[in-house]
Amino acid sequence: MPKTHEKTGIVLAGIAIGVIASLLVFFGNPVNMGFCIACFLRDISGALGLHTAPAVQYIRPEILGLVLGSFLLSVFRKEFMPRGGSSPLTRFVLGFFVMIGCLMFLGCPFRMILRLAGGDLNAVFGLLGFVCGILAGVFFLNKGYSLKRTYKLPTLEGAAFSAIQVALLVLLVAAPAFIYFSEAGAGPGALHAPILISLAAGLIVGALAQRTRLCMVGGIRDLVLFGEWKLLAGFIAILASALVCNLVLTGTGAGTFFTLGMEGQPVAHTDGLWNFLGMLLAGFGCVLLGGCPLRQLVLSGEGNTDSAITVLGLGIGAAFAHNFGLASSGTGPTANGKVAVVIGIVVVAVIAVANTVRTEKA
Amino acid sequence: MTYIATFYSHFGAIRFRKLCQEKGIPAEIMPVPRDLSSSCGSCVRYESTLPCPAPQYPEEVEQVVSVTSQGYQSLYRAENG
Repeated sequence: MPKTHEKTGIVLAGIAIGVIASLLVFFGNPVNMGFCIACFLRDISGALGLHTAPAVQYIRPEILGLVLGSFLLSVFRKEFMPRGGSSPLTRFVLGFFVMIGCLMFLGCPFRMILRLAGGDLNAVFGLLGFVCGILAGVFFLNKGYSLKRTYKLPTLEGAAFSAIQVALLVLLVAAPAFIYFSEAGAGPGALHAPILISLAAGLIVGALAQRTRLCMVGGIRDLVLFGEWKLLAGFIAILASALVCNLVLTGTGAGTFFTLGMEGQPVAHTDGLWNFLGMLLAGFGCVLLGGCPLRQLVLSGEGNTDSAITVLGLGIGAAFAHNFGLASSGTGPTANGKVAVVIGIVVVAVIAVANTVRTEKA
Repeated sequence: MTYIATFYSHFGAIRFRKLCQEKGIPAEIMPVPRDLSSSCGSCVRYESTLPCPAPQYPEEVEQVVSVTSQGYQSLYRAENG
C-alpha cells in the first residue's frame, strides 16, 4: 500500500472509530465512554468477581469484539502470527501499573480522546501527562531500552486468548449466578449498549485497528522518533469525528453528549495534578510495552501472547485498584491511589533503566 | 538495490543504521511499512550493493527483505523469528 493511501486509510478508520464511539454512548454506554479499554477491562474484572465494586461490574462485549475482530481479520489476511516469550512478567507488571495510572485519570488513552471530544477539559491535563510519559519512554528507547526478543509459538498458544474471549461471551449471554453485573442505577457498569451493538462495534474497531495499526501511544512516539504523522493522524481523526458526532447528537436533542468545562464531567475528577501524573504513568508504561491498551488487545488477537499477558496485567491491576482503594472517583483521587501512582512511576522507571543497554553505545 | 531490515527493538535499528553508515551505506530509520508487517516497530531502509553490511546479520535483526518492483523479497529471517 503506498504511503499516501496508508495515511488516508488511517484517517478514514479514525473517523469511523470516532463515530462508532460516539454512537455507543447514544445506545447506552456511559457518557464519554463509547470505548475505554481500562474501564472496560476493570468492568470485566468486576464481573468475574476479582473485585467487588458494585458500580463497575459487566462483561463488556466491546473488549471481546476488539480481540476477535483483530483475530478474524489477521487470520483472513494471513497475518496471524503466534509469538511470545519477550519478558512476559515484566510486561505483566508494566500492564498492572499502566492500569493504576489509567484509573487515577479515569480512562485509558482512547477514553482520554473521547473525553476531549465530549468537552471534558480535565483531559487536557491527562494529555499533557501522557505526552510527558511518552517522551520519557522515547528517551529510554533511544538510550537502548529493549525487552527480550519474541519467538514463534504454536498456533494453539496464539489462539488461546481469542478462545478466552469466546468463553467470556458465553458467560455474558448465559449470565450464570456467579457472574456479577452492576444493578440499574449502580454506576457506569450498569450503563451499556445492547450486547449485539457493543459486540459489532468491537469487531469493526478491532478489525480497523488491526488493519491500520492504530495506536494512541504510537502516534506521538512515531512523531518524536521519526517525524512521522501517520499514526497521529488516526488519533486526531478519532477526536475530530467523535467531537462532530457528539455535537450533532446533542443538537438533535437526543441527549447531552458535549459539555465544555471541567466541573461535573461524567466519570471524571478535577484534580489536574493527578490527572497529569496518572496519564504520565500510563504513557511511560505504554511506550515501554510498545503500544497503548487498545493496541495490546489488537496484538493479542493477532496471536501475540506477550500482549495477552499485558492485558492480564491490566485486568489484575484493575482488580487491585478497586480492592485497595486506588481508583479515583468523581469526587477525586484517593490517598492510596496517589501513593500507588508514585510507586508505579518509580517501578516503571526502574524497569526502563534495568532494560537499557549501557555497556554498548549506539 | 534497496533493502529493509526489521528489528526486535528500536535500539537494534539505531545500531544497524550506525553499522551501515560506518560502511558508507546510506540508511534511514523509519516505521515498518504496513504492507511488510502488521507489527509497528522501527526498521532501517538502506541502499547497498550487498544485502548485508557485515559478515553476518546482527542478532537484533528480525528479517531482511529487498524492495523490488514485484514487492518485497524475503532474504533473511532470524531463527524462530
